[in-house]
Amino acid sequence: MGTASVGCPKCGARVEFDAGSKFVRCSYCASQIYIDRSGAGFYYILPFLVREDNAVGIFKRWAAGPTKAKYLDQRAQLAGSKRQYFPVYMFKRLVDGKELIRVEPAGSTTLPGLHELKVPAGDLKVFDSKYDVGGVPLIQPDIEMGAYLEKLPGAGKEQALVFFPIWTLDYVHDGKRYQVVIDGSSGEVFAADFPKRGSGPYLAVAGVGYFAFLAEALLSYFSPWLAAMLIAVTVVCVFAASLFVAWRM
Amino acid sequence: MKVIQVRCPNCNSPIMSKQRDLLFLCQQCGTLHVRDGGVNLVDYEIADFAKSAPIQGRTYVPFWRIYANFTILSKNSSGGSMYKLANWIKGGGGDSGDVFIFVPAPDFDPPTFKRLATDFTANWPKYSTRLDFGGVPRLPANLPKEEAVKLAHFVIITMEAEKPGVLQTLDYTLDVKDARIIFLPFNSTPDGLRPGL
Amino acid sequence: MPDEALSVGLSCPSCGGAVSIEEGESVINCRYCDSMLFIEGDMGIQTVAFKNKVDPQRAMQAAEAWWKKGFKARDLKKVGKTTEVYPIYLPFWSTTIKVAGWVCGYEEKTRSDSKGNTTTERVYKEVMVLQDHRFSQIACDPGDLGIRSLRNFSGERTFEDFTMIPTFETTSSVDEARKQAEAEAVEQARRGAGVPHITFERIYTVPRKMSVIYYPIWVVRYSYRDRMYVVTVDGVGGQILSGRAPGDPLYQSMAITGGTAVAGLVSGFGLVFATLEAGGSSGYIAIFALAIGAGVLYATYRFFRNGSEIIEGEFQGKRGEIGNPLDVGEILKTLEGFRP
Repeated sequence: MGTASVGCPKCGARVEFDAGSKFVRCSYCASQIYIDRSGAGFYYILPFLVREDNAVGIFKRWAAGPTKAKYLDQRAQLAGSKRQYFPVYMFKRLVDGKELIRVEPAGSTTLPGLHELKVPAGDLKVFDSKYDVGGVPLIQPDIEMGAYLEKLPGAGKEQALVFFPIWTLDYVHDGKRYQVVIDGSSGEVFAADFPKRGSGPYLAVAGVGYFAFLAEALLSYFSPWLAAMLIAVTVVCVFAASLFVAWRM
Repeated sequence: MKVIQVRCPNCNSPIMSKQRDLLFLCQQCGTLHVRDGGVNLVDYEIADFAKSAPIQGRTYVPFWRIYANFTILSKNSSGGSMYKLANWIKGGGGDSGDVFIFVPAPDFDPPTFKRLATDFTANWPKYSTRLDFGGVPRLPANLPKEEAVKLAHFVIITMEAEKPGVLQTLDYTLDVKDARIIFLPFNSTPDGLRPGL
Repeated sequence: MPDEALSVGLSCPSCGGAVSIEEGESVINCRYCDSMLFIEGDMGIQTVAFKNKVDPQRAMQAAEAWWKKGFKARDLKKVGKTTEVYPIYLPFWSTTIKVAGWVCGYEEKTRSDSKGNTTTERVYKEVMVLQDHRFSQIACDPGDLGIRSLRNFSGERTFEDFTMIPTFETTSSVDEARKQAEAEAVEQARRGAGVPHITFERIYTVPRKMSVIYYPIWVVRYSYRDRMYVVTVDGVGGQILSGRAPGDPLYQSMAITGGTAVAGLVSGFGLVFATLEAGGSSGYIAIFALAIGAGVLYATYRFFRNGSEIIEGEFQGKRGEIGNPLDVGEILKTLEGFRP
């Protein structure tokens, strides 16, 4: 499954090949065969490696990250998840003898991350009638490949339509609705907008602490004992304040 | 993609070899050619072994010999600056002249590459030529001409930098007039390659 | 879909024997008749695969041992639960480049004697660079795996496991990789030469054949309080390559408490010392103390601010995410900038 086949030009036997291979060996007559992809258009698909419970867990991990609002992982209300295959075109061109890879969307979308346009890491499979998508809906391409081909530089080396797996998760935080897209192959999270965590309290603790200690070091020139006592108090205060900020803010 | 048999551009005989070599030498008519962006003939010379060179371990090593006009426009060294005359440049007034730069064409490790390149560029080998290899094996070449010219620049800067004083700036021109292959005779010994000249 | 027009048989045009093309080579010799053969057009790229030497048990143990190290959440080893362990093959562009050149210039050394007089001295340098530079770079989008280059190039090579292990395909351009390999080789040679003020530089690169290395990597997913984290394990050596883990507020606050204390006190005492010893070099001491303080404060603040997630590996280049909060190299670089 997930491979395609060609007829061996020497003995006529069917020879299976994988999405990535350029050369294959015929298992009957052992001759080496070159797969010429410059003319045909291929269909590839990346299988899902991230299950639904994992997708939610990956979202929560992301939501607990330092740039996101504190407790976003617990406070965000999941309002739906769906998995889909999103189509992109992958063009390999030969421009002045150099290989150039261009990825262009094949379906129109407003989902975050899908405009960065790259084929995510994954186990590229040849997609044909034998491939079982397991009931996952395919977003049908609504942009013609020809529209891009005319504008691309150089000569074609390979062109393919790649379906890649995505999870779309909707969540609500403070009455506002947000959306993240999770790459269903590597688990990378894309988000255009999300509730952010401010750096203010963190900067305040660091700044106040620094200048307090600095002042106390200067004070030690005049009154070492008083300075030592104040330093001890400052250590306790900074520790308590920073612990509170790290927990809550 | 196409697999083609390499044939001599002069006499159309097929080129045979037991090893992968970027230099295609025709056994019939002795024409040497390379294929880097087209079929290009390359001049070459085969140097004869000195009579004193041992028979054992005789090997030919291909070198790109770059013949060029080397002109130092300005040079600035710190310390030892009285050493002005570029003594390895022949036929010219000190800071300009024609040079032979020897660049080893096989895939050598960096120290061997540098030793062979600077030794022969500093003291151009004197040899009598012969028309065949006389059954002596040769090392395959792995360095296209274009890359050999790049490394020729490295070799001449090395020659200048290794003079007394610490090199600070060097402004020069290197006008390449000819690049050919010289097969130089060596004896391979347990201590490495020894020139057989 | 694929048809007969796709396949091109490869046989020696002279003797008709099947030829075995080593991908990436334009020149081959027929092993039957010794004919030299030349490939015109797309000659492919040589691929090698390393044998996987790690089993799920070992990958899991490596990940769980990693939980205990560093400033990760203290309850991770109790609460963390491995949920999924699977291997993948990741593709890497790989080549060696011959670098040859010279870097000339000088270094300025400032010295101060006991009387507080400072003198600046120029130390002239001419450094030859002649080396083979090993380059590797992931050949697909690394996604959220945190892996960008290979650290290990040795191991048993075989395609045996290829049918069993999901293989990620190369989706980046080989010529782009070549360009980056050359830039990296030149940059590394320049840095290795160690000439701070360069007056003359010529560095030449001789590229060699690019190949693709398929490297086995184990993906270990684990859960911690409903969150899903991932750790990757080297499938040849069994060590951790990259990973994310929850942090701990206690370590964050300990870091900033210690950081502000050290930074504030060092800066303060430095200023006090400078006023007491009104000599020639005391100004430098004060600046140096302030610089150390700033460096320590910066490093500990970064950990305080971002330490709720511990990240190890090559995740850089991600928008909106902050890199490894405990990047020692970066801290040292920051300190370097302040050095008098």
